[in-house]
Amino acid sequence: MTDLGSLDFSAIWKFREALAWGLLTTIWMGVVAFALAVPGGTLLALGRLYGPWWLRLPVLAFVDVIRFTPLLVQAVWIHFALPALTGYSTSATVSGLVALTLHVSAYACEIMRSGIQAIGKGQWEASRSLGLHRPATFRLVVLPQVWPIVMPPLAGAAVATLKLTAILGILAIDDLMKVASRVNSFAFRPVEVFTVVALVYLLLGLLLQWGAGAVERRAARARLRIAAPLPTDLRRQTVEAAT
Amino acid sequence: MTFQWDVVLDRLPDLWLGAQVTVLAFLVALGLGLPLGAVLCAGRLRGRGLWAGLAGAYIGVFRTIPEIVLIFWMFYCLPPLLGVTVSGLWTGSLALALVAAAYLAEIMRAGVQSVAPGQWEAASALGLGRWPLWARVVLPQALKVATPPFINFLTELLKGTTLLATVGVADLALKAYVLGAQTFRYLEFLTAVALVYFVIIFPVARLADMVERRLARGQR
Repeated sequence: MTDLGSLDFSAIWKFREALAWGLLTTIWMGVVAFALAVPGGTLLALGRLYGPWWLRLPVLAFVDVIRFTPLLVQAVWIHFALPALTGYSTSATVSGLVALTLHVSAYACEIMRSGIQAIGKGQWEASRSLGLHRPATFRLVVLPQVWPIVMPPLAGAAVATLKLTAILGILAIDDLMKVASRVNSFAFRPVEVFTVVALVYLLLGLLLQWGAGAVERRAARARLRIAAPLPTDLRRQTVEAAT
Repeated sequence: MTFQWDVVLDRLPDLWLGAQVTVLAFLVALGLGLPLGAVLCAGRLRGRGLWAGLAGAYIGVFRTIPEIVLIFWMFYCLPPLLGVTVSGLWTGSLALALVAAAYLAEIMRAGVQSVAPGQWEAASALGLGRWPLWARVVLPQALKVATPPFINFLTELLKGTTLLATVGVADLALKAYVLGAQTFRYLEFLTAVALVYFVIIFPVARLADMVERRLARGQR
């Protein structure tokens, strides 16, 4: 049994630079994956909603396969199994980033789809009668109204993305979690190392949630302006965190 | 490169062992998470005060920390802190249960709070006691609303059990990885296991969608 007086945080101080780099890796991977996933998810949603059947079906299959299998299996599959199919292997960082981006894209697709579907048919019809083409209608009329609806669930997805980056440590990616494991196996101070790392993740997550809350309040005001309630399935996705 | 499924078929008993570990972790996490979630939900429903604050803080913390961080923390820190040796399966399942409790509490709370205030007022105006008010009026309506997110949560929890593989628990995911490494047949094993998860989760998620649509129709 460890008593609190014997805690020794010197190992963490000694490896502060490695841990800081780990944190940086966690952050940039999360940011890049999310930044790619939002436009990616939007394109997927467009394909699923308005594409011909030969586009709709593969998109639907892709989104469901990604959402209904664990990210851990996906990451390992992309890193170890995919090279057998394609013939060349990717570095752990690339595999992890691809897995995370695809995973978040699938969730973003579902969010964007619900958001686009929440916009009434009347908007399309009115734009049509004003002579707007469908692409122009989407860009100029529909999308500006979709953003306030999808903002809250997208902010939730951003928090989920941060949590998911921690899984990528299973590949040889030196994210915060992986560096922490390495520091621990060198210094044997699990209580100190993992408690500090857990607190860092908590702080990062709370910061992100605070930002998400601010986004949500702005979106709520914007929704009031366009008189669009949050669709029920989106309310659920805000609660759900992807695993 | 062609698929050689016979390699997977040869190792089926080993994969089956992994599947049992996965199911065990799932059930332990759910079995502990449900009652703890109910307690947290009761705390949050008080609105204000010490218990509501504690429950709110718990839910906030455990929904924010990545599951995998908590799994590592429990795996490495519980044994020295408590002075006992515990296997990764139990510390990992406990970590999943603690996180599950936070999510389940929010699902239950959303269900209870979806019951219109008029229902409570009407029930107490009719002189219903605490117990019949909950059992006959609130819970039947709350359970309906909570069912789709609850079913969805079950699929998330099943996917979450794969995280135990990171602390060396020989669940289905780790078995697939290890067998893939042994036979140099990552493709077959990992694809097979991904398929297993998909085949289980897909119908369950569709069921949740169906229940939700039916409920939405009933409300109108």
